[in-house]
Amino acid sequence: MKEEKLNYEFEGGTKMWLAIGMVIGVVCLGWTFMTDDAIHTRFWSNFLHNSVFFTGISLMAGFFMCVSITAWAGWYVVFKRVWEAISMFLIIGIPLMLIVGVGIMLHMHHLYHWGDPAMLEVGGDNYDKLIDGKSGFLNSKFYIGATVILGIIWVFLLNKVRSISIAEDKEGADGFNKHYSIRKYAAAFLPFAGFGSAALVWLWIMSIDPHWYSTMFAWYTGASWFVSMIAVTILVLQHLKGKGYYQNVSNEHFHDLGKFLFAFSIFWTYLWFSQYMLIWYANVGEETIYFKQRIDNYPILFYANLAINFVAPFFILMRNDTKRKMGSLGFTAGLILFGHWLDFFLMIKPGVLHTAHEVTGGGGHHGGESHAGGHAVAESGHDVAHAAGHGADSVFELGFTIPGLLELGTFIGFLCLFMYFILALLSKAPLTSNNDPYIDESLHHHT
Amino acid sequence: MADNKNIIYGLYNDEVDLLKAVKEANGDHLEIMDVYTPFPVHGLDPLLGLAESRLHIAGFVYGTIGFLTAFLGMSWIFTKDWPIIFGGKPHWAVPAFIPITFELTVLFASIGMVVTFYIINGLGPGVVNPTIDLRITDDKFCIAFDKSEVDSSKVESFLKRSGASEIHSKTI
Repeated sequence: MKEEKLNYEFEGGTKMWLAIGMVIGVVCLGWTFMTDDAIHTRFWSNFLHNSVFFTGISLMAGFFMCVSITAWAGWYVVFKRVWEAISMFLIIGIPLMLIVGVGIMLHMHHLYHWGDPAMLEVGGDNYDKLIDGKSGFLNSKFYIGATVILGIIWVFLLNKVRSISIAEDKEGADGFNKHYSIRKYAAAFLPFAGFGSAALVWLWIMSIDPHWYSTMFAWYTGASWFVSMIAVTILVLQHLKGKGYYQNVSNEHFHDLGKFLFAFSIFWTYLWFSQYMLIWYANVGEETIYFKQRIDNYPILFYANLAINFVAPFFILMRNDTKRKMGSLGFTAGLILFGHWLDFFLMIKPGVLHTAHEVTGGGGHHGGESHAGGHAVAESGHDVAHAAGHGADSVFELGFTIPGLLELGTFIGFLCLFMYFILALLSKAPLTSNNDPYIDESLHHHT
Repeated sequence: MADNKNIIYGLYNDEVDLLKAVKEANGDHLEIMDVYTPFPVHGLDPLLGLAESRLHIAGFVYGTIGFLTAFLGMSWIFTKDWPIIFGGKPHWAVPAFIPITFELTVLFASIGMVVTFYIINGLGPGVVNPTIDLRITDDKFCIAFDKSEVDSSKVESFLKRSGASEIHSKTI
């Protein structure tokens, strides 16, 4: 075993760069807020976009860690602390989502069309029968309640896993007792993460297009988060290794992470395509509208999404050696992290823009009950109008149909906040847990 | 068989002992003929100086052929040869072609690789391969030397020293 630095020191230089990034993020958010339209569509959609993205990544880190613990896996134990730290970002992510939830209740924003009480007034001009039918689930109380309850359960269980694991290191393994109790909490976490994340994905993201639904959506979003989480893990480990920590994390570990990056990129594509093909084949108006909007108004992003998140990792990571070389692996991880951020952009922006257009006066087609069935048809005629809804003739409008500099700045801000939190947590405990029963298996890991 | 070989071999009980012994043999410049194990042993290939298999490159080529066969085949059939409208979709309905294209890619790649593997290794129906010792398919690890290439007495002392549980000579 090589001599290694066990305790991570969160250096001032790194701190400063991350702080600069966070300032950029705050400035960009503020700038967006100032230059925005009357209902702050761009500000709130950027806020939701980044909050959902990073909250999901931390949830998936906890999920994968608990899956590995429950499956008696050993290979990851040497860098287990990284996943423990990433999963703890839920402490910040859940409150961020709560800000969005409280915003619905106080009508601070119009991200979700169902948050508009006029849609539920029977007989009113804007009455929408379909949304009324879903109002038991799609309401701000359920949104906030589900986020709070699941958030508390997740954070409680993941915090138990992390704190027992650190105690195992400090106080000794106590036979296998500490390990067994970690395993109990990890197993308890899995159903809450699996079913809970699906329900929250419906509320957080899918309900932006409240007339549209897809049973594959939770899987699809989960896969997107998962791939991003693996990419973040690779980048954090490479950063720490470059600083002289984690010398025991070898090419073998990176090879396995690269395999996960490769395999789950394909899994994501499989879900993306399955969702697309079923809807394309069935050709039901309420469903195809989702893709029609995106292909017509977001053509570059729509296909770039596939190119970045499928074609690039598929061909780059197919070979054995590209998964083991730090350069190609790190490049792909960075590219994929950005690619899945674009994927979430594409999930969130079109629906929000559509809602904003209706709220600010474009919506005349909610002409009572009789229109509920023909709703989708009416909506499709609206597409071009709403792309140009912000006054531009072009389908490319910064911040709405493609990410602009303010979006990138906000992304950098959130990313730096995320990294700052992770690195700060990593500096609190030894990087490798030498009392974990699987540590030897992990040190001698060989693919 | 024409090229009968006189071999001397040692049987080990454990793959860790085997790996150590192979390292020692390399250090002593004893030319190993082959190593037989009941399961793939990690780290053995580089010790024996085996080149990386090129089977996966063949697999990529077969997969590409499968991809092109399926995609171009369906494109030709549904646009030129026998155009039929299915469910109001265009003749060249790419999303509908993708599952079949995927399946043929996998089929061509897997069958192609299996056949290539069999041909390269001289395997196939009716082929009889000499087995040095039946227990190497169960729980024994074997290092074999060709007597015409190494000094038998040196090998014997090496095998004893490195912890072989049994040492035998045989003609195969």
